Amino acid sequence: MAARAETRTPAWQRGKVVSWLVTTDHKRIGILYISSALVFFVLAGLMALVFRLQLSQANADVLSPERYNELITIHGTAMVFLVAVPFLTGFANYLVPLMIGARDVAFPRLNALSYWLFFLGGAILMLSFFASGGAAQNGWTAYPPLSVQQPGNGQDLWILSLHILTASSLAGAINFLVTIHNLRTRGMTWTRIPLFVWSIELFSWLLIAVLPVLAAGLTLLLLDRGISIGPWEIQTHFFDAAEGGAPVLYQHAFWFFGHPEVYIIVLPAFGIISEVLPVFSRKPVFGYKAIAASTVAIGFFSMLVWAHHLFTVGLPISLQAFFMIASMVIAVPTGMKIFNWLATLWRGNLHFDTPMLYALGFLSIFVMGGLSGIYLAAFPIDWQVHDTYFVVAHFHYTLFGGVMFAIFAGLFYWWPKMFGRLLDERLGKWQFWLLFVGFNLAFFPQHLLGLEGMPRRIYTYADESWEGYNMGSTVGSYVMGIAILVFVWNVWRTTRSGPRVGNDPWQADTLEWYTTSPPPPHNFDDVPYVTSARPLYDLRRRLREASGFRGSL
Amino acid sequence: MARRAVLLLLGIAGGLLLAGSARAYTNAGPISEEIQNLFWAITLFAVVVAAVVFGILAVFLVRYRESVSPRPTSWVEGDRNLEILWTVIPTIILIVIVIISVPVLVYTDTIPPPDTTVRVVGTQFIWTFYYEDGTTSSPDLWIQAGTVVKLEVTATDVVHSFAVPDLGIKIDAFPGHMNHWWMQGDVPGDYLIQCAELCGLEHAKMLASVEVLSEDEFDAWLTRRRAEQTAGTSDLGQETWEGVCSKCHGLSGEGGIGPALAGSVVIADPEAVEDLVRNGRRTMPAVGAGWTSEQVTALTNYLRENPPGGG
Repeated sequence: MAARAETRTPAWQRGKVVSWLVTTDHKRIGILYISSALVFFVLAGLMALVFRLQLSQANADVLSPERYNELITIHGTAMVFLVAVPFLTGFANYLVPLMIGARDVAFPRLNALSYWLFFLGGAILMLSFFASGGAAQNGWTAYPPLSVQQPGNGQDLWILSLHILTASSLAGAINFLVTIHNLRTRGMTWTRIPLFVWSIELFSWLLIAVLPVLAAGLTLLLLDRGISIGPWEIQTHFFDAAEGGAPVLYQHAFWFFGHPEVYIIVLPAFGIISEVLPVFSRKPVFGYKAIAASTVAIGFFSMLVWAHHLFTVGLPISLQAFFMIASMVIAVPTGMKIFNWLATLWRGNLHFDTPMLYALGFLSIFVMGGLSGIYLAAFPIDWQVHDTYFVVAHFHYTLFGGVMFAIFAGLFYWWPKMFGRLLDERLGKWQFWLLFVGFNLAFFPQHLLGLEGMPRRIYTYADESWEGYNMGSTVGSYVMGIAILVFVWNVWRTTRSGPRVGNDPWQADTLEWYTTSPPPPHNFDDVPYVTSARPLYDLRRRLREASGFRGSL
Repeated sequence: MARRAVLLLLGIAGGLLLAGSARAYTNAGPISEEIQNLFWAITLFAVVVAAVVFGILAVFLVRYRESVSPRPTSWVEGDRNLEILWTVIPTIILIVIVIISVPVLVYTDTIPPPDTTVRVVGTQFIWTFYYEDGTTSSPDLWIQAGTVVKLEVTATDVVHSFAVPDLGIKIDAFPGHMNHWWMQGDVPGDYLIQCAELCGLEHAKMLASVEVLSEDEFDAWLTRRRAEQTAGTSDLGQETWEGVCSKCHGLSGEGGIGPALAGSVVIADPEAVEDLVRNGRRTMPAVGAGWTSEQVTALTNYLRENPPGGG
């Protein structure tokens, strides 16, 4: 096999670096996604550490308003588009074909295009700090007319970057869908695919449903800012009230994408948790079908809640009531997942390895994020806390506490699959506790700040009674920074000296652990016929029965 | 390990209770009171749900950890009755929350017969208020305690949001669109107004206050204010300079985000100033697009008599 592959690969593509640049192997592309996302994560995290300094005291003078607004804008945009989505896309790339017993995704070259578009979009966003007039300064939501009025090219580059990232995600989503629908191995029916694959199915459908709306909104925004093609100058007024446009139209377009985006990110995170918890409880997942069904339900309802971001724009009362109820409804399938996960722990044999710690950290923090979400969905309360730090706290509990903790659970869990070496467990546990404590210290006080009325996106404040919570929050953010340093050190060290742990260090049940760690380029020499959602467990049981061995395998 | 995890989880649950007992916000009017009651009602549910979930989690982590539970003792892959149970119970809780939220929504969203109407106009980075009798105030708002004030909220440049946390008010101000809302302050005092929608570089400084006065005080204030503005002797010019212009040009015209005005010849020319504030120029927003001529005149008079920087 290896010899044949070698004769097919032209010599210039075989170099250590070049082979990564031209790769169409889903596993390498997955690793490229994850490592790029890690770099962007560190960059966007550093931005947060800078503006947390500015916010640590009243009337601080660390940043000018221009720099502050640039940093919050790029921090938010990058964390969503360059960190959360690509991390999960990376996992999906690496895992979906392995989990369903396929050799690669359906369109490997389109897959490579997705990655390189993502890389280009990310580079443009980060480099937009050097544009004339600096980077975009209007928040990650970029509401017009403010975003139309910002002089310079920062906002234009922000739009360009998001357009490119949209194209990248659309291509990726189509690729995943075709792969999941067509390339499942024999016996891998819809009730046997791993729950992570279910989450990627919904992730992809949602991306296809909502990204075009974002792209349309961004295109109108770009035209409102004015473009020139050759001799033609185009200047539209879609969002310009003075010319008959409507600024609130953009807000609808943005949030029709923006709210499902939250679930686009969080569903694969749920998927990771559904894979990790049973393995470290040494039990089958509780309620496979219920969890899969709740994934579909969340995907559906997530498209009916966008206007809860617009509760203060002056919507008619009937619409407000509709969006309030829809937002509450989504808590039901989410609660279902949480109870099924708890039932998975019930009467198990719990191993507190690092992936399990992160999964449990996810569970406890996400419950908090879900509860604060109920307050926000009850919109009379939303009128009070909308656009305050309460909202900032809520979405960091769901997106950092939820999604990033799940991503770390996934990294520690699948790292030996990807590289054949375990990440250091002791460092991993240190990182977990630092991150968990730092996170709660950073974001819990923000609930209280929000209740006291501190608005988000202000570069300074005069009210000294807010200083204590803000200082706590800043200290917490630096503790999180240290936790990430520990992770980087862990990666650096274990790539050199991490213990090699064989093909299946965790006694996992899903198909990706059937092959070697790391897998060969073609993934599998052969794939067993799949008879349940836990093919490896079945295999171990059959081996045990055949050998007459009575102990645990 | 398990013990530490449990301790931390308990810590979080404790934190939630702490949040519940923390002072949420002052409430000085009927809207914020309604919202605050709803807040406590939902907090009750949230604390119960959190206690149940974290309690179950803590018990499971202790009882089923590797050292005391050497092998799984259940192999159940699901249970229909349990699934129904934990679908129905949260649904009931949410229905209850919707039922208690809707009256608050209807109450807040229905404007009672107003005693007076104030137009609220947001402009980078200042609020201007127009009263029924033609009086103008900026950046602060004066209202009479116990009266229903209808608000007509709009903006001249970008999206702002008129927020008074202590009175439970938050309504967006869109250019080219009028939002109708209402407010009522019952307890005399002054309460912070803060813009709640990112509106540009000095968004953070778009601060003002609403002064809730007793009936006598308010009448006296309004009468005096009206008379002064008609006679052109009011402080409106100075208020406008300090509330609007100085945000970017500095209190004594020393410059800031905007250019220094001290010693500028333009500010001595009323027509040039009017053109600038009404139409804006380059990065300077049209702060005075919606001002009455009284306000513009008050400003130009003030600038002529008190040129910034001493002149």
